Amino acid sequence: MQLLFRSAILLLILVSVAGCYRMRSSNGGAQGTNLITDRPLNAADIELPVGYKAEVIASDLTFPTDVAFDNAGQVYVIEAGYSYGEEFLEPKLIRIAPDGNKTIVATGEKNGPWTGITYHNRNFYVAEGGQKKGGRILKITADGTITVLVENLPSLGDHHTNGPVAGPDGKLYFGIGTATNSGVVGPDNYDMGWLKRNPDFHDIPCQDITVTGQNFTSTHPETNQTITTGAYQPYGTAVKEGQVIQGALPCSGSVLRIDADGGNMELVAWGFRNPFGLAFAPGGNLFVTDNGYDERGSRSVWGVGDYLWQVQQGQWYGWPDFAGGLAFNGDRFETPSKEAPKPLLTQHPNKPPHPAATLGVHSSSNGLDFSTSASFGHPGEAFIAQFGDMAPNVGKVLAPVGFKVVRVNVANGVVTDFAVNKGKKNAPASMLKTGGLERPVAVKFSPDGTALYIIDFGVMHVKDGKTTPLKNTGVIWKVTRNTR
Amino acid sequence: MKILLYTILICLFLIACGTAKRGEPAYAPVHASEPAIAQGQVVFNTFCTKCHPGGEAGLGPSFNDKPLPGFLMRFQIRNGLGVMPAFKEEVISDNDLDNLIAYIKTLRKAKNDKAVQAP
Repeated sequence: MQLLFRSAILLLILVSVAGCYRMRSSNGGAQGTNLITDRPLNAADIELPVGYKAEVIASDLTFPTDVAFDNAGQVYVIEAGYSYGEEFLEPKLIRIAPDGNKTIVATGEKNGPWTGITYHNRNFYVAEGGQKKGGRILKITADGTITVLVENLPSLGDHHTNGPVAGPDGKLYFGIGTATNSGVVGPDNYDMGWLKRNPDFHDIPCQDITVTGQNFTSTHPETNQTITTGAYQPYGTAVKEGQVIQGALPCSGSVLRIDADGGNMELVAWGFRNPFGLAFAPGGNLFVTDNGYDERGSRSVWGVGDYLWQVQQGQWYGWPDFAGGLAFNGDRFETPSKEAPKPLLTQHPNKPPHPAATLGVHSSSNGLDFSTSASFGHPGEAFIAQFGDMAPNVGKVLAPVGFKVVRVNVANGVVTDFAVNKGKKNAPASMLKTGGLERPVAVKFSPDGTALYIIDFGVMHVKDGKTTPLKNTGVIWKVTRNTR
Repeated sequence: MKILLYTILICLFLIACGTAKRGEPAYAPVHASEPAIAQGQVVFNTFCTKCHPGGEAGLGPSFNDKPLPGFLMRFQIRNGLGVMPAFKEEVISDNDLDNLIAYIKTLRKAKNDKAVQAP
């Protein structure tokens, strides 16, 4: 019996060594991406369930992030005008004709990324990320006139102003991502580019909070000085135990709503990290995708998935002290060989809810939409675009994560791949050297629900901490169902 | 001693010959009509899929190509291994663990045969 036990242990050790996390180097999709400027496109390289087909309806786009449809069903796409890698361009609203021809409807300022668009009451509403001047919500009329509805949203950092989506109440709902990975400004934000531009920028809570007094030291990337920084503070400002940080509106890591004319801003929920995709389910409930913590910065957090949340009015969802409803209590989330993160807040606004679904670590689960059509299939399920990992910048992974579209049964959290590249393993098309999906950043159903549009951001590579996005590699795919 | 030697040989063989599988839609879907497997699928999606998406590699290694017997999967889940945390009874109940193992075994049996997929 003792020998059997020893054999079992040995078996486990050998299997463990074969798959040992610590001994293996990162093998993510971002680092494996090939920088191909002439991207091949072949819908047959995408695996879909039986009865569905994909086709390209637009290509040669630069950093596309979302589509919308006017009352006539005409397709419009936005080009972000900004990409990680510090690529600043003019964002654009572009009409796509049925033959794929493009017409520029409106051009914005170099304050991207434009992260999302919705068509509501004969106008387009766009979320402007705000990397240079702060986030904005824009209204764009059919003739291309841009009106700023809301500005100076606190999204000058790691994450941006996202959405918007029109609610059943006629209001516009949008998200604001956090400035940092986990509440503390550090050299990783310098690497992102924004800390040099905005040295005083930091996270802002939505309500007054009291901090535990933890401070974090780092080496300034330019001066090599030792810098001490506390939570919700500018780089180089420490906190004391029991210090109260005043809440404000607008705030970081939040979902907010405004009237369609931009007035009456209200808090819907907070405690998110990067609430990127917002969509109302057929029953009227609001859902949001949330990008989980990274393994980087002064307060590194390891092993956190992305999440799909059902948004409840007034709730706090856990950032920066919980992940997926689980507390940072020292048992989990420690980066291997580093200290586990400890709570930053003395008291939490509420116990965070459980997520509607848990998605892959570093999958960058972004835009979502709900199927409403029995003809397309899976009515009531959420479809989510997974942009794919940015490893090793965000942490190590043993294989590419994301780079596909999944569907989620929001009643039980079961996640199933819907559109994924063919091949022996999952990876972006450039890594597989095929003509399939590269980086799906959003999905949206046509107004009649019979077609799913996949917005493919294009080629983005990470090496030695440098992010390189390629212009003119973005694609819009359309998926329809042939047979039932 | 012979058992130990055979274990090492079998183990090395299994590690060497394992081929990672793809999930649906590349492979046939898991038919979760059996309640235990359906519940196991929910447990899997709650606790496992974030590091092993669909059983494939991600943050952690793949396991849909590792033919570990059920009792060893159970041991690893309960006790953790390397950077993988332990999932104790208060997190995954014994009954849910049984369901999870049943689901993983079903997942491993999925074939690369789209003809058997439900439309």
